[in-house]
Amino acid sequence: MSSRVLGRRGKKLDLRSAEELRAERRKGRTGQYLVLPGMIGLALFFALPVLVLLAMSLYTKPPGAEIGEFVPALQFSNYAVMLEAYWPVLLRSFWFALIATVLALLIGYPMAYLVAVRLRQHGLLKGILLVLLIAPFFSSFILRTQAWKQILSDEGFIAQTLKAVSLLPADGHLTATPIAVVAGLTYNFLPFMVLPIYANLDRLDTRLLEASGDLYANPVTTFTKVTLPLSASGVFAGTLLTFIPAAGDYINASLLGNNRNTTMIGQVIDSRFFRVIDYPGAAALSFVLMVSILILVIIYIRRFGTRELM
Amino acid sequence: MDTETQTTRRRARGSSEGADLELTGICKRFAEFIAVDQLDLVVPSGKFFALLGPSGCGKSTTLRMIAGLEAPSEGSISIGGQDVTELPSHKRPVNTVFQSYALFPHMSVLENVAFGLKRKKDREAMPKAKAALEMVELGHLATRKPAQLSGGQQQRVALARALVNRPQVLLLDEPLGALDMKLRRQMQLELKTIQTEVGLTFIHVTHDQEEAMTMADVVAVMNEGRIEQLGPPRELYELPRTAFVANFLGKSNLMRGTVSGQEDQLLSVDVAGNRILLPAARAVATEGEIMVGIRPEKLQISATEDTTAGMNRLDGIVKDASFTGTTTEYLIEVEGIGLIGTFAQNRGQQPGEMGQRVFLSWDPVHTFGLRGSESELAGVEEA
Repeated sequence: MSSRVLGRRGKKLDLRSAEELRAERRKGRTGQYLVLPGMIGLALFFALPVLVLLAMSLYTKPPGAEIGEFVPALQFSNYAVMLEAYWPVLLRSFWFALIATVLALLIGYPMAYLVAVRLRQHGLLKGILLVLLIAPFFSSFILRTQAWKQILSDEGFIAQTLKAVSLLPADGHLTATPIAVVAGLTYNFLPFMVLPIYANLDRLDTRLLEASGDLYANPVTTFTKVTLPLSASGVFAGTLLTFIPAAGDYINASLLGNNRNTTMIGQVIDSRFFRVIDYPGAAALSFVLMVSILILVIIYIRRFGTRELM
Repeated sequence: MDTETQTTRRRARGSSEGADLELTGICKRFAEFIAVDQLDLVVPSGKFFALLGPSGCGKSTTLRMIAGLEAPSEGSISIGGQDVTELPSHKRPVNTVFQSYALFPHMSVLENVAFGLKRKKDREAMPKAKAALEMVELGHLATRKPAQLSGGQQQRVALARALVNRPQVLLLDEPLGALDMKLRRQMQLELKTIQTEVGLTFIHVTHDQEEAMTMADVVAVMNEGRIEQLGPPRELYELPRTAFVANFLGKSNLMRGTVSGQEDQLLSVDVAGNRILLPAARAVATEGEIMVGIRPEKLQISATEDTTAGMNRLDGIVKDASFTGTTTEYLIEVEGIGLIGTFAQNRGQQPGEMGQRVFLSWDPVHTFGLRGSESELAGVEEA
């Protein structure tokens, strides 16, 4: 009798009916089915295009071909040619993206802190500021960048004022400068920096800050030893969400820069695709950009990553 | 500068001895709510001092003002003779054991304990922190994160983190509130032992009257932002001066009566036709309508009348008798007075059963007298 209730290894036998077990297994599978559309989507719209891109980057132009006519090949020299011509642009893109990320962090962290910690008890004001943080998303990215172009234009208020106080030479410009491009990048990607940090600081237990003060830490030390480490994962997510799209961005560079000193890699890829009609070259550059961002991000995660991301 | 202030200054600068704490005319107002109202308090160095009161009585706010986490609306705070009213919390020679423990979740237990020492640039921060952890018997868990510890262990870490700095005043904000009964009793004893060993001034905020009485040298009972009464636990218990203290600290039988005369330092009080004797020195008010009080355990309950001369006597009907093991608790309805509570040790005899008439008697020296203007129910709900 007892041998029937106890299984072979002495464990209690599962007394649920076969029906119930099937239902259980079906429930487990339902979860898997739900992931399926996403997996198919990823395969169709991400994995496949990346493979096509990789293949395209190795295509070659047959002798006497028409414009835009390429044949499959394994022409690895495409990469060498593109890298040799555009490595300074690639470097500049990362440099601009880095500056924009640092600026967005310096501007965004205090904003997130104000809304999430300082205004925690002021529901209405906090809500209004949160909406204002998200508000830029309600208008188009290009439109906002165009607006920046107006703001920074030679006839604009800022340029006129700077000229009036001689901070800018009379023939100086704000647009078509690296400053304008970095400013545009910073502005456009700021919400991606603020929101993850906000989400993180919103959960910060302010009693820990009191405890830190009670243990002789001045406000600066409290920030560096308690607040910042506890919001590190938000800072981490924010910097990634800002740096990655900023490095590949070409809207800001074309609308606010559009000159040799401000060209970013996105612009080059754009022009090789649509103007020069050099599909393999554009594909090779896209691939280089993708892989270099991936490498930089991996180094960053290894160095500063929090456990959740590893 | 005279020598006295010099010595207090020297002490204030960071010796390991406790220091006197003095609050003068402290008020704290939040918008329209007065949390602390004209509080004056002196805690002598090295004492275990308890601030006892129901929630919302202002005891935690008082503690936060001493810690520098809250600024008083009025009044001044001094520690060891040094005025600290304007000092931010990180410059005050006090440390707090928070109710929530407030351990830093991203640091190990050892780093938590060493935090204060490191801020003070103590070169021996790590060895001292280790020693403090050993003291609370958690040396083996030094590398763990706070989240990996049990509630009782976290509480000890919080205690070690505060104690290791040897503050002049250690503030404890209901630090045992989250622990279960058994652990709580154990921690009470440990805290008391540690306090005696290190000799620091401890200010312990609690709403648990038993905790306050077991641990503290001096208890201040707070109610509605004011101190109702302050003194050693036994004194507060034996001789409450307000109805709130009488009811909040233990239980009391309070009866209204009128003073009818005085002889040999004994007041005679007419309570619903019964003559109750009360030492004049134990009465806050000695004329007119007053309130007479007696603690339940001081009453003798018996089936026959006690005829000893000079005893106070009442008689009534047993309305409720509940057996609790070591004792039986009785509620006795006395005509014209109401219900009187008492209990008897279970030594085999049964003084009274439900509905039976019983006789109560007690020695007048245990009686206390309160102002008649007070409500006999003050502090009953909160206790």
